[in-house]
Amino acid sequence: MIRELGALTHRELLRLARNPQAIATSLLLPILYLILFGQAFDLGAALNQQQLLFVTRGAPTYFSYFAAGMVGFVAVTATLFIGANVIFDRLFGILKRTAASPATASSIFGSRLLAGMIQPVGLAFLVLGLAVLLGHLGLSGLQATAGLSVVGAAEIVLAILILSAMFASLFLAVGFSIEQPQSYFAVVNAINLPVLLTSAALFPWGLMPAWFQTVASYNPITIAVNVIRENLFASATAYYPYNAGEYLLGLLAWAIAMFVVATLLARRALAPQK
Amino acid sequence: MSDPVVAENLVKVYGGKVRAVDGVSFSVREGELFGFLGPNGAGKTTTVQMLTGNLRLTSGRALVAGLDVSVDPLTVKERIGLVFQESTADPDLTGRENLQLAAALFRVPLGSTKTTVNSLLERMQIGDAADRLVKTYSGGMRRRLELAVGIIHSPRALFLDEPTLGLDPQGRAGFWRYVQELRKDHGMTVFVTTHYLDEADTMCDRIAIIDHGKIVATGSPSELKDRLGGDIVTVRPTGATVPEGERLLGNLPNVVSVSSMDGSYRVKSPRGEELIPVLVEACTKAGIGLAGVSLKRPSLDEVFLEFTGREYREDEGLTATDRAVRIGQVQQAFGRARR
Repeated sequence: MIRELGALTHRELLRLARNPQAIATSLLLPILYLILFGQAFDLGAALNQQQLLFVTRGAPTYFSYFAAGMVGFVAVTATLFIGANVIFDRLFGILKRTAASPATASSIFGSRLLAGMIQPVGLAFLVLGLAVLLGHLGLSGLQATAGLSVVGAAEIVLAILILSAMFASLFLAVGFSIEQPQSYFAVVNAINLPVLLTSAALFPWGLMPAWFQTVASYNPITIAVNVIRENLFASATAYYPYNAGEYLLGLLAWAIAMFVVATLLARRALAPQK
Repeated sequence: MSDPVVAENLVKVYGGKVRAVDGVSFSVREGELFGFLGPNGAGKTTTVQMLTGNLRLTSGRALVAGLDVSVDPLTVKERIGLVFQESTADPDLTGRENLQLAAALFRVPLGSTKTTVNSLLERMQIGDAADRLVKTYSGGMRRRLELAVGIIHSPRALFLDEPTLGLDPQGRAGFWRYVQELRKDHGMTVFVTTHYLDEADTMCDRIAIIDHGKIVATGSPSELKDRLGGDIVTVRPTGATVPEGERLLGNLPNVVSVSSMDGSYRVKSPRGEELIPVLVEACTKAGIGLAGVSLKRPSLDEVFLEFTGREYREDEGLTATDRAVRIGQVQQAFGRARR
């Protein structure tokens, strides 16, 4: 089981590494958001420091707040291809070959999930690095005002891993249930945009109406970026009702729920046909 | 030891309506190359999918490598190899990486994986391309890689589902050469589905012919051809066939049987060549005008016609000459490959 899981995960990562277009596409949207959307709002010009910290929940600038949100969003765009690969593997007969081997459905599903979790971590740190770099290019850049501890860094990585696991499970569930690529991308787009727009990744928390804050507070992207923001910004903890560990537990609950659904769908798809 | 492949009254009904396989029974002996023949849609692939644990049986029982497929499909998959009709290798991995992955999935011992992979790459003559992505491989190379994946764990029985579909005669002959080598070296039992009758005639120890989900004949190619009673002389009269014509032809020496089919008399005789002049003379004397007379040696095409009552569908539109050329090409290429 461990050996086949390792071999299948290795295969997934090899394919991702050999597909730079997929990596570029995963990064494109967050980067465009960082360069275009993130630079457009200078809330500091309209608000005093106290108001700004309230609106951004402790982030020194809107861009810093926004950049942390994009780190969460990259987990969504990067895991999208994991589900798409299921569709293409089915079309090219690769899934049939794997299902015809003694490999268990758990290994086949698990390997894709693992690959879906590993890739976004690297991409998230690329986005973070780019957000910092923009500050050195005369644009708004990410200002991490908290001294990042090892525990804090681990919490950020965990948040990205769990969020990626949740979205990888979601997209795998869609991939194992749908046969046509066009239908897959239609469904995925119908999920992505509402999930992004109802999260606190883009919009300043303090400017949201109360009902929107309630909706956003349950959004897994919001929960993950809360962990990141609490660890990156010194005065953030005063603005969050829960600590990073508690948010991680909430995120884990989301991931487990999605994992259970996806596992059931994958098992059904990989079982001998009726 | 029980036969490695035993099918007992297999039935597969899709959606409660389409009876794709309808009570199929046969067994494949140890070390045998067993051909499962039939036109497209006859039920060949459905049968293979059931025997290899990839499709649930509606009813019946399949015992493969000593195990009931419905009870323990994962262990059955460990003990058998399966080569699909289409390429299933990952095009974004190299040939070597595909084999390494297969070795892990089929639980080849870690210590021997490298040796096994290298030896298969060499044996299948893809050693030089081992580290190239499979998407750059030719059709023949892909087929050989598929075969290597299918046998990487030295299975007790190897299932080949239309393995030479789309290959040119040379590629087909090459593929069969590897299969024959495997049988010779490992005594592997091979179950192959094909709609190339000439291929089955040359390669298989025994065959079963399936049509509309039912097995219509089983035996060795020579046994089945012997059942035809010899050559087939087809006599096409200028007018319609009549019972008197059948009687006339039936009374000629060395005629085993006569039947009318598609406006012609179909005459079976152990010595067709000698019968033709006698037959032409008898028809002329009886005033039966002849539009044509042709002779066919016993072949699996004729066996199919005999047991199903119609021409083999894949050969529709293919003339006897085309068929002869095709058979000749395969035999010639196979002979070359063997040399």
